[in-house]
Amino acid sequence: MSDLASHTPADPALVAHLTAGIAEARSIYELLFPTQQLFFVLSQGNNPIWAAPEVIEGPHNPRPQDLGADYLGTLTRPGAYDGAPQVTIRLAIPRLPLPGEIKQIDSPWRPMRGLGALFRASPLWYEQVRYGAEMARKRQADRRTDQTAMPLGDGSALLPAPVAPDSDKRPAILIGMHWLEMGGAEKLGFDTMRWALAAGLRVFVVASVPAVQRLADKLPDHPDLTFIRLDRYLPHHLWPRYVQRLAMAENIRAVHIHHCTPLYESLTMLRMHMPWVQTIDSTHIVEHANGGYPRISGVWSNYLDMQHVISGELVRYFRDRFHAPAGKVVLGRMLDRKNNDALPPLRLQAGQKTLHACFIGRLFYQKRPVVVVEALRALNAWAGRNGVTLTATIVGEGPYDGTLTRLLRKHGLSSKVDLLPGNTDIPALLERSDILLLPSNNEGLALVCYEAVAHGCIPISTRVGSQDEVLPDGLLVPLAPRAAVAGTVAAVDAMWRDAGTLARHKDALQAAWTRLTADPTAEEVLMPVYRRLAQRDAA
Amino acid sequence: MSVLNKTAAVIVTFNRSGKLMAVLDALAAQTMRPDIVLVVDNASTDDTAALVQARADADPTIRHLRLPANVGGAGGFHAGIKAAYQMGAQYFWVSDDDAYPRPDALQSLHRALTSFQADNGWRPSFACSRVEWIDGSLCEMNCPRTVWDWARFVRPGSAWALVDSASFVSVMIPRWAVSEHGLPIADYFIWFDDAEYTRRIARSYPGIFVPESVVVHDTPDNRGVNFGLVDDKSLWKFKYGARNETSWRRREMGLMGVLAYAYGVRGQMRRGDVPSSLRRQIYGAIIKGLGFRPAIERV
Repeated sequence: MSDLASHTPADPALVAHLTAGIAEARSIYELLFPTQQLFFVLSQGNNPIWAAPEVIEGPHNPRPQDLGADYLGTLTRPGAYDGAPQVTIRLAIPRLPLPGEIKQIDSPWRPMRGLGALFRASPLWYEQVRYGAEMARKRQADRRTDQTAMPLGDGSALLPAPVAPDSDKRPAILIGMHWLEMGGAEKLGFDTMRWALAAGLRVFVVASVPAVQRLADKLPDHPDLTFIRLDRYLPHHLWPRYVQRLAMAENIRAVHIHHCTPLYESLTMLRMHMPWVQTIDSTHIVEHANGGYPRISGVWSNYLDMQHVISGELVRYFRDRFHAPAGKVVLGRMLDRKNNDALPPLRLQAGQKTLHACFIGRLFYQKRPVVVVEALRALNAWAGRNGVTLTATIVGEGPYDGTLTRLLRKHGLSSKVDLLPGNTDIPALLERSDILLLPSNNEGLALVCYEAVAHGCIPISTRVGSQDEVLPDGLLVPLAPRAAVAGTVAAVDAMWRDAGTLARHKDALQAAWTRLTADPTAEEVLMPVYRRLAQRDAA
Repeated sequence: MSVLNKTAAVIVTFNRSGKLMAVLDALAAQTMRPDIVLVVDNASTDDTAALVQARADADPTIRHLRLPANVGGAGGFHAGIKAAYQMGAQYFWVSDDDAYPRPDALQSLHRALTSFQADNGWRPSFACSRVEWIDGSLCEMNCPRTVWDWARFVRPGSAWALVDSASFVSVMIPRWAVSEHGLPIADYFIWFDDAEYTRRIARSYPGIFVPESVVVHDTPDNRGVNFGLVDDKSLWKFKYGARNETSWRRREMGLMGVLAYAYGVRGQMRRGDVPSSLRRQIYGAIIKGLGFRPAIERV
């Protein structure tokens, strides 16, 4: 008789994937529990991003759910000594993501329940209602969220303070990311990895949010960089213990937090047991609903040695709300000195007969893609009245993909607006665009505005975050969606109709650019810290 | 794609013990035998129970799931897939009691499912065989429905067209599809349960038609499902079919979908010169289907 199906050999690629996943998970737990006896209960997961880890410390009686249909088997790592405590780790090794999940894992966006008819009737009024709710949450946020820095005792001389042990390993830094996906904070995170490597540090990277981590293949290809998949395999409550173990094992001298919540929660462990570890964070946007990462950073500010921010608004935020001491909050712009030569001429001319507008951003609510389409619709009507030929390009991917396509079709804009994926050549696009639309719900200081100006394109943005540091009043429009659309058309009309207004805006952009480039860059404020850390042991 | 390959064959039977034994013979001769052969017996009144029990005594892979009453093909597939799911199967090969798989039919389906994902990244929601009639021609009632881009991954050596609907005659369904989409609708009793189910699971990703996997469907004649063929003898089945498809169209497409369906049925019956008394009963079933909203059971 032939073999049963269950005896059929598995696909070698799948076996390799599972073997690699098991090895990744083992290395995490073997570091976390160096002496304990470890039982790994492994199953084949049906989730592409999360291993649903469960850690049971102490004796564990196997349960039926340990041996379900997807059960792969167990592995045992003996304890370091007889009678070592037992730890059982249940893991469902994530499956390979599907092509659609690699492209976009979020479900397509849908209007909120009960508001679908409103959206179909008027997308802009729908946005207006949502904006109203958002602002109501913002008003309540200050009352609901903690806005006080937690106190940190220095300890007393009565008891000895922990001292850094000698290590034969070169100094290292732990860089904590939110995730490895597209975004401004993520760009800075990747930059800091390159700078740390250039300074001579070994780099360990972790991400807090389970995700496909699409940009993992963009990590610097360097033998001193290690990406540890805690996001897949380690529950957040175990991160502080893991961070301590890793820091001891790898001579980690600094932790740099880029929107990584469990690393904030690890600060207590570091301050108590490893006070010599330098703690740094970088923050970008104060969120309407709860203050976002700057508020978290403010609450932990006494535990941080350095709070790096990208805008003057955030400097004031930490100073005024959390009473951060001078010198702790450090402004470092996300600018590259290499690109700080004189600005090219801004392309838009009064009375020109064509206008190319562009939008560049992830198609998530924060960027308000629906408002982008409504602004393009209004601009198209304006262009028709004034004998101007409007074309536009929208670059980005996200849950609003389908909505955007349908809205453009509905408004008769499909032939005028190109939808391009996120890997489009952005500089080339900006060099053929007259204006950049940025009607975001919130921003820190949008990098794309820098880029636009540097390529001769004029940005028009909502008045959010620190956008007023890079744009003059005439290019800032109200946040309310209907007013944002009307303001965008008014701003374009004013520049197109009146050469004087256009010239004033161009001068103001030039002046803002000059002001910004006079500030230190993120690289200039962080590199000395990294170099100091790298050289401390070398000295 | 699964590293775990435990496979259950789910065969629903009713009073056709002779043909069922031929199916069990064909399964025993497979180049990749199912780990479980679950015979779902719709309370047969012939010698099915005794024959299956005798086989099961000699072959531990055979399980006899005798239902207390005849719940139709839909109820049988519902109960069978549910039981096989609880037995831990990773793949469910689902078929009728009068369809004989060629020796490599199951292995071909399994290989196609795993290879397709390894080669293209996407995981098909099912794989279905080429179903032939006893004379070697295509079995009309078991022809799967292709999607618009069916040829996307068709290549020499792996000519697997994308399909979104297939009959429960030699179709292999992976466990994840059952986990995500639930079980076939038992309340349909008969007809359209397979089309509804495969279309439902194909929302995740279409299935694939695997022509190198062949089964022979031993039906009395080779006729497709066409309302122009309604006669007194087959009326009861067509009524179930009309009710069930109406219910599905109401759920998925709304009233316009039902109207389009009713218009199509009317055209088929007119062209087939179906007597008006039978037509009225079919229209009655369509009206009944408007209010027929059976629940989908999850596992």
